Amino acid sequence: MYKLLLCWKYLRTRYLAMVCIVSVMLGVATLIVVNSVMGGFSTKLKERLHGLLSDVVLEAYDYDGFTDAPSKMALIRNDPFLSNEVDAMTATLEIFAMLQFNFREVPFTRPVRIIGIEPEGRKAVGGFAEHLVNPKNHEKPTFNLDETARERFMIRRASRGVDFPGPREAPNLNEPPPPDPPPSKPHEPQGVILGYAIAHYRDRNAPADLPNKDVRTLEPGDEVVITTVSGAKMSPVFDRFVVSDYFKSEMSEYDSNYVFMPIEHLQKLRTMEDRVTSIQIKLKDYNKAPKVVARLRELFANAPLEVQTWEQKQGAVLAAIRVEKGILNILLFLIIAVAGFGILAIFSMIVVEKTRDIGILKALGASNGGILTIFIGYGFLLGLVGAGLGTIIGLEITVHINDIEKFIANVTGQDIFPRDVYYFDKIPTDINIFSVFLVNLGSIGIAVLFSILPALRASMLHPVRALRYE
Amino acid sequence: MAGNTFMYARNLHKIYRKNAISTPVLKGVDMEVAEGEFLSVVGASGSGKSTLMHLLGSLDKPDAGEIYYKEKRIDNLSADKRDHLRNHDFGFIFQFYHLLPELTALENVMIPLMIRSSVFSWLGNGSVARKRAITLMEKVGLGHRMHHLPKELSGGEMQRTAIARALIGNPALLFADEPTGNLDEDTGREIVQLLRELNEIDNVTIIMVTHNLEIARGTHRIIKLVAGHVEVPLQLQPEAFGVVRPDSFDNLPEDENHSDETRRQAGI
Repeated sequence: MYKLLLCWKYLRTRYLAMVCIVSVMLGVATLIVVNSVMGGFSTKLKERLHGLLSDVVLEAYDYDGFTDAPSKMALIRNDPFLSNEVDAMTATLEIFAMLQFNFREVPFTRPVRIIGIEPEGRKAVGGFAEHLVNPKNHEKPTFNLDETARERFMIRRASRGVDFPGPREAPNLNEPPPPDPPPSKPHEPQGVILGYAIAHYRDRNAPADLPNKDVRTLEPGDEVVITTVSGAKMSPVFDRFVVSDYFKSEMSEYDSNYVFMPIEHLQKLRTMEDRVTSIQIKLKDYNKAPKVVARLRELFANAPLEVQTWEQKQGAVLAAIRVEKGILNILLFLIIAVAGFGILAIFSMIVVEKTRDIGILKALGASNGGILTIFIGYGFLLGLVGAGLGTIIGLEITVHINDIEKFIANVTGQDIFPRDVYYFDKIPTDINIFSVFLVNLGSIGIAVLFSILPALRASMLHPVRALRYE
Repeated sequence: MAGNTFMYARNLHKIYRKNAISTPVLKGVDMEVAEGEFLSVVGASGSGKSTLMHLLGSLDKPDAGEIYYKEKRIDNLSADKRDHLRNHDFGFIFQFYHLLPELTALENVMIPLMIRSSVFSWLGNGSVARKRAITLMEKVGLGHRMHHLPKELSGGEMQRTAIARALIGNPALLFADEPTGNLDEDTGREIVQLLRELNEIDNVTIIMVTHNLEIARGTHRIIKLVAGHVEVPLQLQPEAFGVVRPDSFDNLPEDENHSDETRRQAGI
């Protein structure tokens, strides 16, 4: 009982011990904030990496793809196990290409990846429709132009002189427009959805207070030319397209490379008939992905197909995030180790200061183990209080991190979190209860560990020498 | 050995060593104390009287010799048993009071009982212990100072608190190491009076170490330590273990000087 009483009294009366508490507290708070922010970044990044990729991808090894996707999908649908697990499926055709357009009378050429999709099916698999810029497309994604885009297209077409050479262009387009707009449908090229970063660039010289620093190079309704290769012969093919919408996943790899178009159009352009390069599968429960992958591999054992989950496809990046987080955690734990040495030093001082009291307790019959318990318990209590306060502070900071960032940015005039670097509009955080618990456990453990040595010394003190200590 | 002998020591030796220098403090001390006796141990500083008390109180172990308490040898007991003995059978009063500065007077008094009980048993018996502590505080005349910290108490009050603390475990034997050494004369006399009452009314055996002969005279019997030996006064009767009147030590003040002389010769 006396151990508890003395621990409590020492905690309340030793102001020196407050230093221990503060150091543990700061360490714990830092660890929690950094972990939450890192966790937020990695969750957000994972979300985006996942973005376009469906849960499981059935993929051809080359750009030639495979035939008869509908029968393969039917096979999956008829499988007793898979039919229960699969939520949605869609076939896509992917190919590299070259995109050309004029901006301010200057021709630009960019390498892109074209993805031929069936919009409704692609929406069902997820990670597509919600990233389209035009809100009308969220519900029912389409490659058709909306009113303003069509109007712009008609005006541009009418006023255009010679722009970039388009072999498919009818030569009589230089003539003035007819008084009545012609029925646009037959002449209108196919609409495509461009990655946001293809159609925009960031103006680095824009004034800082401008909310949107993106300059648009291609408006909906503008024409582009896409050149790619045809299926079997590998000869170049190209066509004229019109921009219908943008795809903005905030993942620059996707936003600056991907161009979506209807899969039938791409198949026709590349003379590939019904060939596709992958089947995207969305699962009802992602936790069963390994089983689904195993079953799919079994099912298509003889076909030249690769079956992967999205995580396997992005393995390298995800592993990098994990490693980064692990190393950072080890480094940050050194902060608490430093706090541990603080505890060691301060405890040693307290033991010296309390030498006489230790002698008194021993004279009154306290055992060595009892004295040991007092000081280890004291260390535990300091760790507990420090970790508790640190957790509260850490969580508070994490929850209000964006306000704090804004405040510091206002005071110092220095932008701490440049939003354009990450395309995040605020600092993402993700509080993981388990890691908060681990941090607490670890720091309390360190506090106890570092108090063992002084506690041992205290318990070994000789009662008479301790009593005589001045 | 006499049946009523409560504690006795035979041929106690204690040497303090520091590096290569060893200082013998006790060089073969024999002494006894009878049950219910109020014994005082006198001697000049450095004569080894505190060391003797530490050995008897099992705070320290002799280098040679034996100590018996209630006919059982106690100097070679395990640490656990010695802790138990100090907590249950012995009470200690020190010159510098040795109260724990963080605890109130009442808490200080309760500490020995806390040491012997776990948290759970304390939850059960704590209130009984508290009542006993309050009674003892009132007995030593500190009913009004129970919730003060030691630094808020006067020397006499601190020593009374220490006495209450020593008594709370119902000790059979009370060790008092210069209990008046830090107090003014009047307060010192009060403290000794209190000890005497405890001895007479509650029949507590007391071994008191002091260098103050006037105070020692108020006790049943006096042992004088000179340079690590017990100096047996010639007047001492064979019935040494009975009660010896202190007035047989009338010539003691002269012996003070003599003992200093002896010490100097012994090179201590």
